[in-house]
Amino acid sequence: MKNKIIKLGVPKGSLQESTLRIFKRAGFNIKIPGRSYILKMDDPEIECFMLRPQEIPRYIEEGKLDVGISGEDWIRESRAKVVEISDLKYAKQKIKKTKWVLAVSKDSKINSVKGLGGKTISTEIVNLAKDYLKKNKVKATVEFSWGATEVKPPRFADAVIDLVETGVSLEAHNLKILDTVFESSTMLIANVKTMEDSWKREKIKSLNLLLEGAVEGERMTGLTLDVPRAILKKVLKVLPAMLKPTVTKMPNTDFYNVFTSASKVEIRKLVPKLKKLGCEGIVEYPLRKVIP
Amino acid sequence: MPYRQQNLFLQKNMAKENKIKFGIPGGALEESMERLFQDAGYDFKIKKAPLLVCIDDPEIECFFDRANELAFLIGAGILDGGIVSRAALLESKSDAKEVCLIGTPSFDWKSSKVVLAVPEKSSIKSLKDLRGKQIITRLPGITKDFLKKNKISATVEVSHSSNEAKVPELADAVVEFANTGATLQFYNLKVLAVLLEDANALSVIAHPKAWKNNWKKEKIESLGILLKGARIAQEYSGLMLHASNDMMEEVLKALPALKKPTVTHLRGENWFDVFTVAPKKDLRRLIPRLKEIGCTDIIEFDLSKVVV
Repeated sequence: MKNKIIKLGVPKGSLQESTLRIFKRAGFNIKIPGRSYILKMDDPEIECFMLRPQEIPRYIEEGKLDVGISGEDWIRESRAKVVEISDLKYAKQKIKKTKWVLAVSKDSKINSVKGLGGKTISTEIVNLAKDYLKKNKVKATVEFSWGATEVKPPRFADAVIDLVETGVSLEAHNLKILDTVFESSTMLIANVKTMEDSWKREKIKSLNLLLEGAVEGERMTGLTLDVPRAILKKVLKVLPAMLKPTVTKMPNTDFYNVFTSASKVEIRKLVPKLKKLGCEGIVEYPLRKVIP
Repeated sequence: MPYRQQNLFLQKNMAKENKIKFGIPGGALEESMERLFQDAGYDFKIKKAPLLVCIDDPEIECFFDRANELAFLIGAGILDGGIVSRAALLESKSDAKEVCLIGTPSFDWKSSKVVLAVPEKSSIKSLKDLRGKQIITRLPGITKDFLKKNKISATVEVSHSSNEAKVPELADAVVEFANTGATLQFYNLKVLAVLLEDANALSVIAHPKAWKNNWKKEKIESLGILLKGARIAQEYSGLMLHASNDMMEEVLKALPALKKPTVTHLRGENWFDVFTVAPKKDLRRLIPRLKEIGCTDIIEFDLSKVVV
């Protein structure tokens, strides 16, 4: 009985809100009881813990957790040996990657990574920073930063490698970006031994299927339209190819009903185009999950 | 709005025939009620000061009050109908007619019970031991009915808050709502009897006089269908998928039975499009299963109403 439980780590902090939202869409309700790090999840087969994303990869490597969600940055930074199950492609703000960038004060003489020789760089991702310097064949001192890294140049460090989402914070501290060091995504990872247990592997695979479906469901939208026979071929060519459209002949008319789904970005171009082609009764509606 | 004022307001509007006066329960239910009516297709808003319920249907006049008072107002025929919990309906002893059961206020509400509890170390071991004892409760009607049914004479004391904390100092036993049992446990109380299951399940009810009026009956019934449909839809998702001919048998076996799935033959192919609805909770098992069978293009979407 005890084996029929997987221990799941979900990230506290910036990824918290979007993670809970994706889980809800995937069909799991998670409640955060007060100050506890043990979360209440409405699936008796999952024990859920909320931890800093920096620590989740290591706990998974050590087998203290079976599976978890963390940023690709922290997985690489911790050098943890884990099974990467999928790239869930969602981050704090939108479904997009977050970026770590190299930045210096706007009035700094350093204008590329090559100018960093002998300088001090402050960052939260020490290992990734060292990898980056090595790749660029530059020798510099990397200092660990506990946070608020963007305030450090020029007084406490010559340069920083810091997370950027909108760029507002860098701008506010008079910094300019020289280079992108690492683009990070959100990943589902698991312990190596866990994946050897067939029950746990199936459970994690199902969880992953639902989470991936939920991420797609957030990105996509459903569309149905009535298409005159004369333009059906043309319309089917215009529709995005990710999912196969469902085409049904409408009784007693020369129209076909087409059901499909497309990304919200595609839809902005698609709907006017379909209208101009001569489609009628175009209805768009939100989706919860999409599993191709 | 104070009760007397509301009453005057009601009398003033008595003359208009094609209008139902409908009670909406407040307190902890406010948010769920807003969501339920909005899901049912109404532009619906509860405003706090002055207390006012706005609904975009001129044939419905909404009154917002505590659930217990609503049951009384409907029982007395001051309102034509309304939404009340099972516990409130039984407590009011009104002869209002239950039109339709909606269920718990929203999907994140667990169903609660009404229980009789005594301290862990109490000398009261069975119902018989309650004889001559004092029971504290906010539900005197339900409590007295229960005692009468079990032929026990005991004193029933009415108190409206934190009754669990008042045993054993102020009373020997307590009749109270229990959800997870955590509060009872905190006060070292054990359950001796369950008086009512699904105590917080909501129903649309109507006063017998309103029920005899065909127009009002129709209106309340229709509203009930919409509200119930919206409530069920909160727990359900729509599901669409493609399956080939040889998968169909297994697919149909895996799908839940609430609604017969709609199966359409895909144009010029050996594939079918399947449309159905399923409880959100079942989908956690169902979607991986369908994928395993070999289904493609699986799409889940929100529903506004499910009327069965």
